[in-house]
Amino acid sequence: METYVDAIGVDTEATTTTETTAKQNKKKLKVMVAMDESKNSFYALEWAVEHLRDVISAEPETDQAGGLLTLVHVHPTYLQYIYPSGGTASAMYAIDSVPESMKKAREESTTKLFTRSLEICRGKLMKTETMILEGDPKEMICQAVEQTHVDLLVVGSRGLGMIKRAFLGSVSDYCAQHAKCPILIVRPPRETSTSSSTKEHKSK
Amino acid sequence: MATGEEKPVMVVGIDESEQSTYALEWTLDRFFAPYAPNFPFKLFIVHAKPNAVSAVGLAGPGAAEVLPYVDTDLKHIAARVIEMAKGICQSKSVDGAMFEVFEGDARSILCDVVDKHHASLLVVGSHGYGAIKRAVLGSVSDYCAHHAHCSVMIVKKPKIKH
Repeated sequence: METYVDAIGVDTEATTTTETTAKQNKKKLKVMVAMDESKNSFYALEWAVEHLRDVISAEPETDQAGGLLTLVHVHPTYLQYIYPSGGTASAMYAIDSVPESMKKAREESTTKLFTRSLEICRGKLMKTETMILEGDPKEMICQAVEQTHVDLLVVGSRGLGMIKRAFLGSVSDYCAQHAKCPILIVRPPRETSTSSSTKEHKSK
Repeated sequence: MATGEEKPVMVVGIDESEQSTYALEWTLDRFFAPYAPNFPFKLFIVHAKPNAVSAVGLAGPGAAEVLPYVDTDLKHIAARVIEMAKGICQSKSVDGAMFEVFEGDARSILCDVVDKHHASLLVVGSHGYGAIKRAVLGSVSDYCAHHAHCSVMIVKKPKIKH
Protein backbone atom coordinates (compact mmCIF):
# COMPACT_ATOMS: atom_id res chain seq x y z
CA MET A 1 0.00 0.00 0.00
CA GLU A 2 2.94 2.32 0.59
CA THR A 3 4.51 3.62 -2.59
CA TYR A 4 7.97 2.13 -2.51
CA VAL A 5 10.06 5.07 -3.63
CA ASP A 6 13.35 4.22 -5.31
CA ALA A 7 15.49 3.42 -2.33
CA ILE A 8 19.03 4.22 -3.33
CA GLY A 9 21.63 2.32 -1.45
CA VAL A 10 19.36 -0.09 0.32
CA ASP A 11 20.94 -3.52 0.21
CA THR A 12 18.32 -5.50 -1.64
CA GLU A 13 20.24 -8.69 -2.21
CA ALA A 14 20.30 -9.67 1.41
CA THR A 15 18.19 -12.01 3.53
CA THR A 16 14.51 -11.63 4.20
CA THR A 17 15.04 -9.79 7.47
CA THR A 18 16.89 -7.05 5.65
CA GLU A 19 14.11 -6.90 3.12
CA THR A 20 11.50 -6.32 5.75
CA THR A 21 13.63 -3.68 7.38
CA ALA A 22 14.16 -2.12 3.98
CA LYS A 23 10.42 -1.89 3.55
CA GLN A 24 10.13 -0.41 7.01
CA ASN A 25 12.81 2.11 6.11
CA LYS A 26 10.40 4.07 4.05
CA LYS A 27 7.67 4.03 6.61
CA LYS A 28 7.38 7.06 8.76
CA LEU A 29 7.43 6.59 12.49
CA LYS A 30 4.52 6.20 14.81
CA VAL A 31 5.52 8.24 17.81
CA MET A 32 3.76 8.48 21.13
CA VAL A 33 4.38 11.41 23.46
CA ALA A 34 3.35 11.12 27.09
CA MET A 35 1.95 14.36 28.42
CA ASP A 36 1.12 15.71 31.79
CA GLU A 37 0.67 19.31 32.85
CA SER A 38 4.32 19.87 33.64
CA LYS A 39 6.48 22.33 31.77
CA ASN A 40 8.89 19.51 31.08
CA SER A 41 6.23 17.63 29.19
CA PHE A 42 5.48 20.51 26.87
CA TYR A 43 9.15 21.02 26.28
CA ALA A 44 9.43 17.33 25.38
CA LEU A 45 6.62 17.73 22.88
CA GLU A 46 8.23 20.79 21.33
CA TRP A 47 11.56 19.03 21.12
CA ALA A 48 9.95 15.99 19.55
CA VAL A 49 8.06 18.06 17.01
CA GLU A 50 11.20 19.92 16.06
CA HIS A 51 13.65 17.04 15.83
CA LEU A 52 11.36 14.21 14.83
CA ARG A 53 9.33 16.13 12.35
CA ASP A 54 11.44 14.69 9.54
CA VAL A 55 10.74 11.15 10.57
CA ILE A 56 7.02 11.59 11.13
CA SER A 57 5.72 14.07 8.61
CA ALA A 58 4.32 13.06 5.30
CA GLU A 59 6.19 14.01 2.18
CA PRO A 60 3.71 14.96 -0.49
CA GLU A 61 6.43 15.28 -3.15
CA THR A 62 7.51 11.69 -2.89
CA ASP A 63 4.01 10.53 -2.08
CA GLN A 64 5.29 9.16 1.16
CA ALA A 65 2.57 8.54 3.69
CA GLY A 66 3.25 10.12 7.02
CA GLY A 67 3.45 8.42 10.35
CA LEU A 68 1.44 9.26 13.37
CA LEU A 69 1.95 11.36 16.44
CA THR A 70 -0.10 10.27 19.43
CA LEU A 71 -0.39 12.44 22.50
CA VAL A 72 -1.32 10.42 25.51
CA HIS A 73 -2.39 11.78 28.86
CA VAL A 74 -3.06 9.57 31.82
CA HIS A 75 -5.36 10.62 34.60
CA PRO A 76 -3.71 9.34 37.68
CA THR A 77 -6.06 7.76 40.11
CA TYR A 78 -4.38 8.67 43.29
CA LEU A 79 -5.60 8.20 46.77
CA GLN A 80 -6.52 11.83 47.02
CA TYR A 81 -9.71 10.97 45.27
CA ILE A 82 -10.76 8.81 48.13
CA TYR A 83 -12.91 10.79 50.46
CA PRO A 84 -12.16 10.32 54.10
CA SER A 85 -15.71 9.62 55.09
CA GLY A 86 -14.60 8.33 58.41
CA GLY A 87 -13.86 4.86 59.62
CA THR A 88 -12.00 2.08 57.89
CA ALA A 89 -14.69 1.80 55.24
CA SER A 90 -13.21 4.79 53.45
CA ALA A 91 -10.19 2.72 52.43
CA MET A 92 -12.48 0.50 50.37
CA TYR A 93 -13.94 3.45 48.52
CA ALA A 94 -13.98 2.76 44.80
CA ILE A 95 -11.45 4.98 43.16
CA ASP A 96 -13.51 5.81 40.14
CA SER A 97 -16.39 7.28 42.03
CA VAL A 98 -14.79 10.65 41.69
CA PRO A 99 -17.14 13.47 42.67
CA GLU A 100 -18.65 15.40 39.79
CA SER A 101 -16.86 18.64 40.47
CA MET A 102 -13.49 16.96 40.38
CA LYS A 103 -14.41 15.20 37.14
CA LYS A 104 -15.28 18.49 35.55
CA ALA A 105 -12.12 20.15 36.77
CA ARG A 106 -10.13 17.26 35.41
CA GLU A 107 -11.81 17.45 32.03
CA GLU A 108 -11.14 21.14 31.83
CA SER A 109 -7.49 20.77 32.59
CA THR A 110 -7.17 17.93 30.08
CA THR A 111 -8.85 20.00 27.40
CA LYS A 112 -6.49 22.85 28.13
CA LEU A 113 -3.56 20.51 28.00
CA PHE A 114 -4.51 19.08 24.63
CA THR A 115 -5.39 22.45 23.17
CA ARG A 116 -1.97 23.69 24.05
CA SER A 117 -0.32 20.51 22.75
CA LEU A 118 -2.15 20.55 19.45
CA GLU A 119 -1.16 24.17 19.04
CA ILE A 120 2.45 23.05 19.19
CA CYS A 121 1.84 20.39 16.55
CA ARG A 122 -0.03 22.63 14.20
CA GLY A 123 1.18 23.21 10.69
CA LYS A 124 3.86 20.55 10.82
CA LEU A 125 2.23 18.16 8.38
CA MET A 126 1.92 15.45 10.99
CA LYS A 127 -1.12 13.40 11.65
CA THR A 128 -1.80 13.89 15.33
CA GLU A 129 -4.20 12.15 17.64
CA THR A 130 -4.88 12.34 21.33
CA MET A 131 -5.52 9.61 23.85
CA ILE A 132 -6.78 9.85 27.39
CA LEU A 133 -6.25 7.00 29.78
CA GLU A 134 -6.95 6.49 33.39
CA GLY A 135 -4.92 4.68 35.95
CA ASP A 136 -1.34 4.51 37.05
CA PRO A 137 0.57 6.65 34.54
CA LYS A 138 3.61 4.45 34.15
CA GLU A 139 1.69 1.25 33.64
CA MET A 140 -0.91 2.77 31.37
CA ILE A 141 1.72 4.31 29.14
CA CYS A 142 3.56 1.02 28.76
CA GLN A 143 0.28 -0.73 28.04
CA ALA A 144 -0.66 1.84 25.43
CA VAL A 145 2.71 1.35 23.77
CA GLU A 146 2.11 -2.37 23.51
CA GLN A 147 -1.40 -2.06 22.23
CA THR A 148 -0.81 0.56 19.60
CA HIS A 149 2.58 -0.78 18.43
CA VAL A 150 4.25 2.60 18.28
CA ASP A 151 7.81 2.85 17.06
CA LEU A 152 9.00 5.35 19.62
CA LEU A 153 7.85 6.65 22.98
CA VAL A 154 8.80 10.18 23.99
CA VAL A 155 8.73 11.28 27.60
CA GLY A 156 9.98 14.28 29.51
CA SER A 157 12.66 13.65 32.04
CA ARG A 158 10.75 14.99 34.99
CA GLY A 159 7.11 15.74 35.49
CA LEU A 160 5.10 16.86 38.41
CA GLY A 161 7.27 15.11 40.96
CA MET A 162 8.18 17.10 43.97
CA ILE A 163 11.72 15.81 44.13
CA LYS A 164 13.55 18.51 42.25
CA ARG A 165 16.90 16.93 42.79
CA ALA A 166 15.92 13.77 40.96
CA PHE A 167 17.40 13.68 37.51
CA LEU A 168 14.76 11.39 36.19
CA GLY A 169 11.15 11.18 37.18
CA SER A 170 9.56 7.93 38.25
CA VAL A 171 7.36 7.55 35.18
CA SER A 172 10.23 8.14 32.78
CA ASP A 173 12.41 5.75 34.71
CA TYR A 174 9.78 3.03 34.76
CA CYS A 175 9.04 3.43 31.06
CA ALA A 176 12.73 3.35 30.19
CA GLN A 177 12.95 -0.06 31.81
CA HIS A 178 9.63 -1.56 30.86
CA ALA A 179 8.37 -0.07 27.62
CA LYS A 180 8.44 -2.52 24.77
CA CYS A 181 9.62 0.01 22.24
CA PRO A 182 12.54 2.43 22.04
CA ILE A 183 12.13 5.36 24.37
CA LEU A 184 13.36 8.90 24.01
CA ILE A 185 13.81 10.89 27.20
CA VAL A 186 13.86 14.60 26.52
CA ARG A 187 15.98 16.62 28.84
CA PRO A 188 15.27 20.33 29.13
CA PRO A 189 18.20 22.65 28.68
CA ARG A 190 20.00 23.38 31.90
CA GLU A 191 18.79 26.47 33.65
CA THR A 192 22.35 27.67 34.09
CA SER A 193 24.37 29.86 31.75
CA THR A 194 23.84 27.65 28.72
CA SER A 195 20.12 28.39 28.47
CA SER A 196 20.60 31.62 26.51
CA SER A 197 22.94 29.96 24.05
CA THR A 198 20.51 27.12 23.42
CA LYS A 199 17.85 29.68 22.61
CA GLU A 200 20.05 31.18 19.92
CA HIS A 201 21.00 27.74 18.68
CA LYS A 202 17.37 26.92 18.09
CA SER A 203 16.70 29.89 15.84
CA LYS A 204 14.99 28.23 12.90
CA MET B 1 19.67 29.74 5.73
CA ALA B 2 19.88 25.99 5.38
CA THR B 3 23.50 25.95 4.31
CA GLY B 4 24.86 28.06 7.12
CA GLU B 5 22.85 26.26 9.75
CA GLU B 6 24.43 23.55 11.82
CA LYS B 7 22.74 20.23 11.99
CA PRO B 8 21.85 18.91 15.41
CA VAL B 9 24.31 16.30 16.63
CA MET B 10 23.44 12.71 17.44
CA VAL B 11 25.82 10.48 19.35
CA VAL B 12 25.32 6.72 19.22
CA GLY B 13 27.13 4.66 21.84
CA ILE B 14 28.07 1.14 20.86
CA ASP B 15 29.76 -1.87 22.35
CA GLU B 16 30.25 -5.36 21.01
CA SER B 17 26.82 -6.63 22.00
CA GLU B 18 23.96 -7.60 19.71
CA GLN B 19 21.73 -5.03 21.36
CA SER B 20 24.14 -2.30 20.37
CA THR B 21 24.19 -3.45 16.77
CA TYR B 22 20.44 -3.53 16.76
CA ALA B 23 20.25 -0.04 18.21
CA LEU B 24 22.62 1.34 15.60
CA GLU B 25 20.78 -0.33 12.75
CA TRP B 26 17.40 0.82 14.03
CA THR B 27 18.62 4.38 14.36
CA LEU B 28 20.17 4.44 10.92
CA ASP B 29 17.08 2.86 9.41
CA ARG B 30 14.66 5.35 10.88
CA PHE B 31 16.66 8.52 11.07
CA PHE B 32 19.23 8.41 8.32
CA ALA B 33 18.78 5.97 5.50
CA PRO B 34 15.55 7.40 4.06
CA TYR B 35 16.93 10.90 3.94
CA ALA B 36 20.13 10.48 2.01
CA PRO B 37 22.00 12.64 1.34
CA ASN B 38 20.40 15.26 3.56
CA PHE B 39 20.59 13.57 6.90
CA PRO B 40 18.71 15.39 9.63
CA PHE B 41 21.50 14.88 12.16
CA LYS B 42 25.27 14.94 12.28
CA LEU B 43 26.26 11.49 13.47
CA PHE B 44 29.01 10.47 15.87
CA ILE B 45 29.45 6.81 16.67
CA VAL B 46 31.34 6.25 19.90
CA HIS B 47 32.80 3.11 21.39
CA ALA B 48 34.11 3.04 24.92
CA LYS B 49 36.95 0.58 25.24
CA PRO B 50 37.20 -0.64 28.79
CA ASN B 51 40.48 -0.01 30.49
CA ALA B 52 42.54 -3.18 30.72
CA VAL B 53 43.25 -2.52 34.36
CA SER B 54 39.61 -2.08 35.23
CA ALA B 55 38.66 -5.12 33.20
CA VAL B 56 41.05 -7.38 35.02
CA GLY B 57 40.55 -5.76 38.37
CA LEU B 58 42.71 -6.46 41.31
CA ALA B 59 42.70 -10.12 40.41
CA GLY B 60 45.68 -11.18 42.42
CA PRO B 61 49.32 -11.89 41.83
CA GLY B 62 49.09 -12.94 38.19
CA ALA B 63 47.31 -9.77 37.12
CA ALA B 64 50.35 -7.84 35.92
CA GLU B 65 51.33 -10.56 33.46
CA VAL B 66 47.85 -10.90 32.08
CA LEU B 67 47.43 -7.19 31.45
CA PRO B 68 49.19 -6.90 28.09
CA TYR B 69 47.11 -9.78 26.71
CA VAL B 70 43.91 -8.28 27.98
CA ASP B 71 44.91 -4.95 26.54
CA THR B 72 45.56 -6.39 23.08
CA ASP B 73 42.34 -8.30 23.26
CA LEU B 74 40.37 -5.21 24.12
CA LYS B 75 42.03 -3.31 21.31
CA HIS B 76 40.98 -6.03 18.90
CA ILE B 77 37.44 -5.93 20.18
CA ALA B 78 37.33 -2.17 19.79
CA ALA B 79 38.65 -2.40 16.24
CA ARG B 80 36.08 -5.05 15.41
CA VAL B 81 33.26 -2.97 16.84
CA ILE B 82 34.24 0.04 14.77
CA GLU B 83 34.64 -2.06 11.64
CA MET B 84 31.20 -3.47 12.13
CA ALA B 85 29.74 -0.03 12.68
CA LYS B 86 31.41 1.24 9.54
CA GLY B 87 30.03 -1.74 7.66
CA ILE B 88 26.51 -1.04 8.85
CA CYS B 89 26.76 2.60 7.84
CA GLN B 90 28.03 1.66 4.43
CA SER B 91 25.31 -0.89 3.85
CA LYS B 92 22.73 1.79 4.55
CA SER B 93 24.58 4.39 2.51
CA VAL B 94 25.01 6.64 5.48
CA ASP B 95 28.16 8.61 5.02
CA GLY B 96 29.62 11.47 6.94
CA ALA B 97 29.48 9.63 10.25
CA MET B 98 32.44 10.15 12.57
CA PHE B 99 33.78 7.23 14.55
CA GLU B 100 35.48 7.63 17.90
CA VAL B 101 36.97 5.27 20.41
CA PHE B 102 37.76 6.27 23.93
CA GLU B 103 39.23 4.30 26.76
CA GLY B 104 37.56 4.11 30.10
CA ASP B 105 34.16 3.71 31.61
CA ALA B 106 31.34 3.83 29.07
CA ARG B 107 29.06 5.86 31.29
CA SER B 108 31.31 8.82 31.79
CA ILE B 109 32.69 8.65 28.27
CA LEU B 110 29.29 8.90 26.67
CA CYS B 111 28.30 11.81 28.86
CA ASP B 112 31.59 13.56 28.12
CA VAL B 113 31.22 13.06 24.38
CA VAL B 114 27.75 14.56 24.53
CA ASP B 115 29.19 17.64 26.18
CA LYS B 116 32.11 17.84 23.81
CA HIS B 117 30.00 17.81 20.68
CA HIS B 118 27.02 19.64 22.21
CA ALA B 119 24.87 16.76 21.11
CA SER B 120 21.11 17.06 20.96
CA LEU B 121 20.56 13.37 21.26
CA LEU B 122 22.37 10.37 22.68
CA VAL B 123 21.35 6.93 21.50
CA VAL B 124 22.22 3.78 23.41
CA GLY B 125 21.11 0.19 23.26
CA SER B 126 19.93 -1.61 26.31
CA HIS B 127 20.76 -5.07 27.53
CA GLY B 128 17.38 -5.30 29.14
CA TYR B 129 18.72 -6.50 32.42
CA GLY B 130 16.32 -7.24 35.20
CA ALA B 131 16.51 -5.44 38.49
CA ILE B 132 19.14 -7.65 40.06
CA LYS B 133 21.50 -7.72 37.12
CA ARG B 134 21.16 -3.98 36.88
CA ALA B 135 22.16 -3.59 40.47
CA VAL B 136 25.17 -5.84 40.11
CA LEU B 137 26.43 -5.05 36.61
CA GLY B 138 25.19 -1.51 36.40
CA SER B 139 23.39 -0.10 33.45
CA VAL B 140 24.97 2.31 31.04
CA SER B 141 21.65 3.25 29.52
CA ASP B 142 20.25 3.99 32.96
CA TYR B 143 23.20 6.13 33.90
CA CYS B 144 23.04 8.07 30.66
CA ALA B 145 19.30 8.60 30.95
CA HIS B 146 19.91 10.14 34.35
CA HIS B 147 23.07 12.09 33.75
CA ALA B 148 23.58 13.03 30.13
CA HIS B 149 23.07 16.69 29.42
CA CYS B 150 20.95 16.03 26.38
CA SER B 151 17.94 13.96 25.43
CA VAL B 152 18.56 10.23 25.49
CA MET B 153 17.03 7.55 23.31
CA ILE B 154 17.20 3.98 24.54
CA VAL B 155 16.65 1.44 21.80
CA LYS B 156 15.74 -2.02 22.93
CA LYS B 157 15.89 -5.14 20.89
CA PRO B 158 12.41 -6.62 21.05
CA LYS B 159 12.38 -9.97 22.80
CA ILE B 160 11.15 -12.70 20.51
CA LYS B 161 8.62 -14.81 22.31
CA HIS B 162 8.94 -18.48 21.47
